[in-house]
Amino acid sequence: MTMENKHVLDQIPDYLDGTLDKETMKVVEHHLANCMECQKELEEMRILFTAFNEEEITVPSDSLKAKFENALEQEKTQQGKVVHMTQDKKPSWANNMLKVAASIALLVASFQMGGVFQQKKVEKEIAQLKDETDHMKQTAMLSLMENQSASKRIQGVSYIEEFENPDEAIIQALANRLLNDDNDNVRLTAFEALSKFTSSEKVKIVLIEALEKEKNPSIQVAIIQTLVQIQEKKAAEPMKRLLEQEDTQPFIKEQIKAVLPSIT
Amino acid sequence: MRKFTFILIALFVGTVAKGQSDFKKSLSGIEWVKIESKTDITVKTHSSNELLIKSGPEIKTPDRAKGLKLVGAGGTDNTNVGFSVVQDGNTLIVYNLRKNKGAEIYLPKSQNIAIKSTWNGDIEVDGFSGEIEADAQLNGSVKITGVNGPVTANSLNGSLEVVFGTVTQDSPISLYSTNGAVDVSLPSNTPANLSLSTLNGNVYTDFDVKAEDKDGLKSLLGRNVKASINGGGVKISMKSTNGNMYLRKK
Repeated sequence: MTMENKHVLDQIPDYLDGTLDKETMKVVEHHLANCMECQKELEEMRILFTAFNEEEITVPSDSLKAKFENALEQEKTQQGKVVHMTQDKKPSWANNMLKVAASIALLVASFQMGGVFQQKKVEKEIAQLKDETDHMKQTAMLSLMENQSASKRIQGVSYIEEFENPDEAIIQALANRLLNDDNDNVRLTAFEALSKFTSSEKVKIVLIEALEKEKNPSIQVAIIQTLVQIQEKKAAEPMKRLLEQEDTQPFIKEQIKAVLPSIT
Repeated sequence: MRKFTFILIALFVGTVAKGQSDFKKSLSGIEWVKIESKTDITVKTHSSNELLIKSGPEIKTPDRAKGLKLVGAGGTDNTNVGFSVVQDGNTLIVYNLRKNKGAEIYLPKSQNIAIKSTWNGDIEVDGFSGEIEADAQLNGSVKITGVNGPVTANSLNGSLEVVFGTVTQDSPISLYSTNGAVDVSLPSNTPANLSLSTLNGNVYTDFDVKAEDKDGLKSLLGRNVKASINGGGVKISMKSTNGNMYLRKK
């Protein structure tokens, strides 16, 4: 791009003031002659400059000036010469206060901004923490279920209430309690825990297995009731076997006779 | 004077003789004492850290058995009082080999005890602050008094009675019977979450659980009652399949 074709907008103020050197002046004039855009700019700038020049500078009237000087004199005589550092200090102290206030405002603002950004992070961390506590709960539950004390095993089994969707490991641990625990109370509690998850196929299989194995009549009758409630057809066979066994309590046999027709 | 000395010696000899017929064993390093018996078993507290089995009323060994040892399903009599006592890790297994006559066993107050009655034996336990497990597997009843818990007890045909002192809050209490009554007394200010259930029996209580009045105690409608008393606390589950249930304020 040559000089001639380049717009001279930057030079226009200087051109109007007449402060350009001769060579540049020539170039600018040459360009202005050919460029409508710059001519337009020149016209507008000229109007502006004229306006500046025509603007009258307002001067205070003499009487105002006299009044002011009188007032100033009066003030001076009243104050004496005492012009102290406090005058300097006061504004600077106020300034500092302002600075402090500003820093505090800044701090608060950034803190809040940070807070907003942190919020998401915290929510994520809480979710993570919940995962961790779930994991810890599960560990505690599983270890309690192996405790020597029956009461502690029951406590472990009761932890099931803390889980909405217990995983395979928990169901398996409960099944082990129901099928293998020596203590009747633990087995009954494990049954009660499992009976809340009868929609699981695994649980159904465990309950049927328990019905074949269980010798405590209270647990037998509870299992029978649950299996009938969910209409588990596969429970019919073990029930029939219980009917045939001599050591089955009479009330269990009655119960079976009453419910058997409904699932066969 | 001579007469007096004679009496003194007689007394001394008597004590020694009696002492010899009891069985003692230290309980250091023992966390659980497991007792199994076909006959009545009474367990009481004493102040020393040892197991003491009172031979009770004299056991007559048949003349033919002289020089022989009593052998049962639980092992061989290694105590001379008709019991087999064997340590297994931190557990002491105490097996009553006799099929008649009850026995009295003394243990320190804080001992954890698990007792099993496998035939007609009634289980009686009094005054322990440790954990108690009782299982009357056939016709025996269970009576546990003056304990703090946790208690895990179960009976088939016998009744199940528990009288609590202050209930410890750290671990659940579980009391089940199939055909017997379940009868529990708690201090009225015990904080607890109760779960009471019965199939063919009724539930009676004077605790503030929603119910209908009946003879001072309340008969609860519905077979599963869950309630918090005194703001809730330790979990207490009571269940009787065919028997009634009684929960009393003490």
